[in-house]
Amino acid sequence: MSALLILVPFFSVLILNLPLKGIRKLAFGGAICLSLLQMAAVFIPDAAFWKINPHAFGSIFSFELSADSLSKVILFCIGLVSFSALFATRQTLKDSAGRFNFINIILIAVAGMNGVALAQDIFSLYIYLEITAISSFILIAFNRDILGLEGAFKYILLSGVATVLMLAGIALFMLIAGSTSFAVIHAVLLNHNKDFLISLGIGLFIVALFIKSGLMPFHGWLPDAYTAAPAAASVLLAGVVTKIAGVYVLIRILVSVISFSPAIKSILLLVGALSAILAAIAALTQSDFKRMLSYSSISQVGYIILGVGSGSVLGIAGAALHIFNHAAFKSLLFLNSAAVECQLGSRDIEEMGGLAKQMPVTSLTSIIGSLSCAGIPPLAGFWSKLVIVIALWMAGFRAYAVIAVLGSILTLTYFLILQRKVFFGKPNAEFKDIKEAGFSLTFPALILAALIIGAGIFTPFILNRFILSFNSIFGG
Amino acid sequence: MIAKALLLTIIIPLFSGVIMFFLPEKLRRIKESLLVFSSLASLLLAIFLFQQKLTFTLPWISPGLELSFRLYQFSSFMLLATAFFGFFIALYSVVFMRGRNFLSQFYGYFLLAIAFSNGVFLSDNLLVLFFFWEAFLLLLFGMIAVGNKEAFKTATKAFIIVGITDLCMMLGIALTGHLSGTMAISRMNLPLNNGVTNLAFILLMIGAISKGGAMPFHSWIPDAATDAPLPFMSFVPAALEKLLGIYFLTRISLDMFQMTTKSGVSILLMTVGAITIILAVLMALIQKDYKRLLSYHAVSQVGYMILGIGTAVPAGIVGGLFHMINNALYKSGLFLSAGSVEKQVGTTNLEKLGGLAKKMPVTFTCFLITAVAISGVWPFNGFFSKELVYEGAIERGWIFYFIAVLGSFFTAASFLKLGHAAFLGKLSPENAKTKEACFSMLIPMIVIALVCLIFGVFNQLPLNHLIQPILGIRLAGHNFSGFPASIWMVVVTFAVLFLAVANHLFGVKIKGSGLHALDHIRYAPFMAKIYDLAEKRFFDPYNWGLGIVNIISRISLGIDKAVNWLSDGLSVWLANGLSLGIRRLHTGNYSIYLAWSLVGMLVIFGVLVIL
Repeated sequence: MSALLILVPFFSVLILNLPLKGIRKLAFGGAICLSLLQMAAVFIPDAAFWKINPHAFGSIFSFELSADSLSKVILFCIGLVSFSALFATRQTLKDSAGRFNFINIILIAVAGMNGVALAQDIFSLYIYLEITAISSFILIAFNRDILGLEGAFKYILLSGVATVLMLAGIALFMLIAGSTSFAVIHAVLLNHNKDFLISLGIGLFIVALFIKSGLMPFHGWLPDAYTAAPAAASVLLAGVVTKIAGVYVLIRILVSVISFSPAIKSILLLVGALSAILAAIAALTQSDFKRMLSYSSISQVGYIILGVGSGSVLGIAGAALHIFNHAAFKSLLFLNSAAVECQLGSRDIEEMGGLAKQMPVTSLTSIIGSLSCAGIPPLAGFWSKLVIVIALWMAGFRAYAVIAVLGSILTLTYFLILQRKVFFGKPNAEFKDIKEAGFSLTFPALILAALIIGAGIFTPFILNRFILSFNSIFGG
Repeated sequence: MIAKALLLTIIIPLFSGVIMFFLPEKLRRIKESLLVFSSLASLLLAIFLFQQKLTFTLPWISPGLELSFRLYQFSSFMLLATAFFGFFIALYSVVFMRGRNFLSQFYGYFLLAIAFSNGVFLSDNLLVLFFFWEAFLLLLFGMIAVGNKEAFKTATKAFIIVGITDLCMMLGIALTGHLSGTMAISRMNLPLNNGVTNLAFILLMIGAISKGGAMPFHSWIPDAATDAPLPFMSFVPAALEKLLGIYFLTRISLDMFQMTTKSGVSILLMTVGAITIILAVLMALIQKDYKRLLSYHAVSQVGYMILGIGTAVPAGIVGGLFHMINNALYKSGLFLSAGSVEKQVGTTNLEKLGGLAKKMPVTFTCFLITAVAISGVWPFNGFFSKELVYEGAIERGWIFYFIAVLGSFFTAASFLKLGHAAFLGKLSPENAKTKEACFSMLIPMIVIALVCLIFGVFNQLPLNHLIQPILGIRLAGHNFSGFPASIWMVVVTFAVLFLAVANHLFGVKIKGSGLHALDHIRYAPFMAKIYDLAEKRFFDPYNWGLGIVNIISRISLGIDKAVNWLSDGLSVWLANGLSLGIRRLHTGNYSIYLAWSLVGMLVIFGVLVIL
């Protein structure tokens, strides 16, 4: 039944585009309902719902779907962030025809991402990834301005490289295992662990996923794409798309197909630490609101990869928790940047100042988001970072644990700079008539802020359920 | 039921003290009567409890830490003395403090001081004792701080000095409790036969003698004399602190530890006593302020008590304790006379005083009696207690006797100078209209002067009823009342007093005034340099301490600056530099981004193949 999560968005797009009178007006409400339903569906405990007949589409490309607790976290994130992005379209896209198209593409991207989250074989995984990627290109270039087109082009370029590498990897795995199913390849790889071809296949796959995640040094496309994209697209991209296309798939492949080896752990830790620190340092001197958030995203993905790199259940639980927290606070912060950009018409933080009085909701929610991102207790971000640091420490990677903590300090630093320059300090006389952004930007921001606080306070409860259920993903 | 009366001795002054803080400044009369009547109540209670033996125990936090009080010979005597000074100085303060600020605070602290001293005297548990002891330290700070503009600094000085010595005492208490396995004072009896017990004794001793005001912990007292309100000086450093310090010193040397003439700490105590006597009195000689001169004597006299108790022979101990009560009497009497002069004339600077004897005859008479008492003139109380201390000292070594007698010489000399400069000589024209102090200031002075006389003439009274019973069995049949046993020592004492008078007359003859009668000592070839340095506070251990702290704080500041530079300077510079560097690498050029990815990919393949 979980195939519904892929099929319903697809068919909704088809229905919305039927030549019926007035059906286009249902687009926003329908899409919001779908995102809410998706979040609710995650809590369906029925095991039968999540199980799919594996051979529905033939024998080689089996299109297996299945969901464990990791997938459910991801599905929830997709629902949450698409909900926020949909709201953001209301204010950032004035043209109603354009907005309708935008919503359609969001729905297609959601379908693709749901497919990624549920796929159990590498080829269908690849297809869903491509669906997601292509809809992302369109979303980035949606306004057809020069920067948007350039950002999209960079994304296509590097994503194309990643696609090639991934296809080559898939071909190698098929060559060796004769199947694309995770379980089959996993079983074969266990017997041939020092084969050069296998190493090559693993390497190709990992590099492809690093590019998709935007980790350093494969991140060249990311700041430009995030910055140039329309606000709603940035929310979706930063909140979930790259986390799913890159990080989730990486975790899934590592856990279900490749399995951890010392070499893979050291690569993950190295790349993770490099991204966490260098991107945070790069964020320090950015003057563009969204660009700073983009570097912050790279840095936070680095954090997640550090958690994965610990190779332990705890580390992966921490990484999943951080994916969720990142989805919440980064969409929140991108919503805030959209609010500021909408009201001021500028993203240059050097020009801003003292907006806390004029935009109280935006200011307050952005403080909550920033603090959660910097890992300040009792907000949600603190707990996931704590779990990651503990996992690193317990796995014996103590230097990396220290680096992770340092990264948090840097995070706090650039967010304090951001807060001081945008919401506090001297008001710019040019912006003295600025008012708070509209409901459709403040409402999702408030919901996300409440979620961050609530998740922070109830984390011990959530964590228990997480860690208990995360043992099972290794068992499968 | 009567055992609970013990608690009243603490509760009455404690509650009235606390109420005092909340009374508004306008209700002056109510505050004054509250002060006088609650101190009177304490006095009556102390008389009622006198010579009774009571215990009161309340199980508290844990078995080792119970709120236990014990009233016996010694503590009932101490309660009485505290209440006596409390009542009369309260009477005096009421008039003296009129027209000053912080009345509520001063009176409140005054009453709390009675409460906490009573707590110390009654406690039979070291921790409970220390609680009251430390509470007293806070009062010390508060009472000094309400003085003049400089008072806050002096209060801080007193607080730091006494605080540090109390820290030693705290360590001593922990060590003593550990050694004896109990915190109950009446169950302790440690022999001083090894290093650790000696250390415990010395730590406790530091607390005791510092409270008494002995050198080198004395240096706040002269500063407080000029900065703090006068009744404070008369009540706390002159009376209460001597009672507290010497009480505790006696308890540790007689009850808690077995100090004998063979103990090393006995020599230590005598040395501290002797040094305190001579150095403080030498400083007293050169003072040109009535109160400051007295304050050095307050330090010097405690040396006699420490010397007496340090001898560890019955005569010395009885002498030390007798000297404690005598000193409390005449020293607070002297301070009260100084206050009377300050109130009536407006200054205590000896340069501006003179010829007050005719204007203030009662004050002068009281001053005269207390001054001859402190100088050790027969038949006043100071004579008898000093003779007993001499008797104890000569038994332990002629050098201690010699220093004690030399101290007496200088004491007499400095009081001749003080009396001459303040009350005799020419009356300056500005002071022509000076009147005698009012009745309620004179009463305490007269009573105290009378007691000085009675304790001298009828010395059997205090010795047989107050002091000798404290030693009980240790006295071994001695009776020290009546005229001193050793006639030649009395002859020496008289000879020294005559020498002091002769010295004074000689000084007056060459300098022509009472104030400068001791200048020949002040400017003697070797002494001049020492005195110059002393006047610059070169010998003040507090200043050395401040110097050391200053060095440490400079080093810390340096470290702090270095850390600041690392965190605020270097790291910011580094982070900004790096950040700008990384920013510059992002040129937006696709080929560069692709090249990075390629390099990353090659590295990853390398790692995968090699590992």
